[in-house]
Amino acid sequence: MQEENFSPQASLALIQSMIAKTRQGISDNSIHFLIWGWVTFVACIGQFILKNMLDYKQHYLVWLLVFPASLASIYLGMKQNKKREATTYVGESMRYLWMGMGIGYFVLSMILTRLGWNTTIYPFFMLLYGLGTFISGKLLEFKPLVYGGLMAWVLAIGSTFFNYDYQMLFGAGAILVSYIIPSYLLKIKVNKKKNFL
Amino acid sequence: MNEEENLSEMESLRLINEMISKAKSSFVTTGAASMVWGALIVFCSLLTWLQIYLNYFFFVDVWSLTLVAVFFQVYFSIRERKLRNFLAHDETITTYVWSAFGICIFLLSFYNSKFGNNDQSISSLFMLLYGIPTFITGGVYKNKPMIAGGILCWGLCIISMFTENTTDMLLMAASGLFAWLIPGIILWSSYQKKRAANV
Repeated sequence: MQEENFSPQASLALIQSMIAKTRQGISDNSIHFLIWGWVTFVACIGQFILKNMLDYKQHYLVWLLVFPASLASIYLGMKQNKKREATTYVGESMRYLWMGMGIGYFVLSMILTRLGWNTTIYPFFMLLYGLGTFISGKLLEFKPLVYGGLMAWVLAIGSTFFNYDYQMLFGAGAILVSYIIPSYLLKIKVNKKKNFL
Repeated sequence: MNEEENLSEMESLRLINEMISKAKSSFVTTGAASMVWGALIVFCSLLTWLQIYLNYFFFVDVWSLTLVAVFFQVYFSIRERKLRNFLAHDETITTYVWSAFGICIFLLSFYNSKFGNNDQSISSLFMLLYGIPTFITGGVYKNKPMIAGGILCWGLCIISMFTENTTDMLLMAASGLFAWLIPGIILWSSYQKKRAANV
């Protein structure tokens, strides 16, 4: 293979292109963010309506939506894995980040199951929403994710001043600003870049 | 500024590798930060356990020592950075991971101080959080003891859901041991070996 010369600028551009490539990869995979974002959003609002407006005792059953969402996400993930290209360093870090976050959510759900449904667990979920999106935003150099993460933390603090019934609405707000809106913005940004090229 | 130098593809790769290996001798990867933090968590947990066990509280604010440790970690990391003129990409990643972890610990402590008297097991949530940055850092640096430490924290977190608050403190001490102290000692000894080999 013929050796190609890189100036320091070109080397930096290579690193920038790695970030851009990962950003595009995340945007292509944003379906996962959107599935989880929308399912969580609908579940939070649904639980609020069932509990506070319809006075339905088993209001938590709305969270069963998570199971079909998991199956859909696993199926899509397996499909995407088949056509995956070589991963970048940032991509590899993102993989570990979201693997860690996934296990974190799972363990937190176990804590929730153990503590019971009327426990004020929402602030902790919001804490994790913020953690994952803040780090992702910094890695991808994408500000809406960073701001989304920060806003999720602010909402987590805010929710502690309200009782459980209203914390659901804070949860919906946190998922909207940290997952749903940044995912759409990332998609728009990457699509614009694709069209430009 | 230095005269601009053109790098071949191989030289660029070598430069990147060099940056990675240089970064591996940083404060974080010498294991010092990990050991300090791990030892502190073990100490605070065991002291809290002892106080609950003896029902004699001689050092109530023991966990405030973690704030002092955070201050020193930030100070050393800033000083370290001033001495070097580059920041490797994996260090940037772990900086963000640990900054986010610091914010979350602060928020969780805030929550604990506000609702500290309810019956929720807050220590389980701390162990859950301990696992996340340790697992990610282990993955980024390809450090198996840290990956295992992160997973063990989650395992201990699950066990803590079924135990009394007093026992939770022992589990918390084990988290500090597996997530930071042991990986820190491993990193420290391998750093010392490498340093001795280079002399």
